[in-house]
Amino acid sequence: MIEGVLMLVGSVLILVGSLFDLLAALGLLRLPDLYTRIHALTMGTIGGAVLPLIGVALVAAGWVELGSYRWYLAGAAIVTAILILMLAPAGSHAIARAAYRARSPSPSYVVIDELAKKVRGGGR
Amino acid sequence: MELRDLAVSIVMLSIPIYVLAFLLYVVRIVKGPTVADMVIAVDALGYDLAVFLTILAVLFRVPFLVAVAMVLALWIYALDIYVAKYLEAKEVGA
Repeated sequence: MIEGVLMLVGSVLILVGSLFDLLAALGLLRLPDLYTRIHALTMGTIGGAVLPLIGVALVAAGWVELGSYRWYLAGAAIVTAILILMLAPAGSHAIARAAYRARSPSPSYVVIDELAKKVRGGGR
Repeated sequence: MELRDLAVSIVMLSIPIYVLAFLLYVVRIVKGPTVADMVIAVDALGYDLAVFLTILAVLFRVPFLVAVAMVLALWIYALDIYVAKYLEAKEVGA
């Protein structure tokens, strides 16, 4: 009984994560600018990768026919989820910082850009 | 027993949504006007490919695919850091 409930909760998490993923893909396709696209990207990585990995861990922990390999599957899925939770914000932040410093004009909707004086005025 | 079949069918239902998201990411990779746009689309595609590999490992009962997913997540982070380095040194175009 408890295995069935675990598998049901995990599969619902996987379904919600796939919906997050579809929304992130639509946002990455439709949003106008790099910085707003990074917003959609982080929604897709945390909601669309970490959440379904935890769901996969629950499904694997509840699947009795897998034998003792199910604990290997569940543990590796949890470790991958924690790795993505740590690495994805750091990577997207590095990309945003490098793109800001490499691109000379500001985006058109920016009213006040205080960072531009610091980056382009007085060097690093 | 019925709960297990229901869970497996819900996981099966999520697979076409993942494939559709992959296709939209590939459209952004091909279209992307700058290098940074392509790199963030490759990021999202790689993380979701790792998730898809773990889902396939559970569905096909092949536990060895999960190690591939973990290595893939680490490589995507390495791609981020290298591209950020060369973007900031202005060696590739913005």
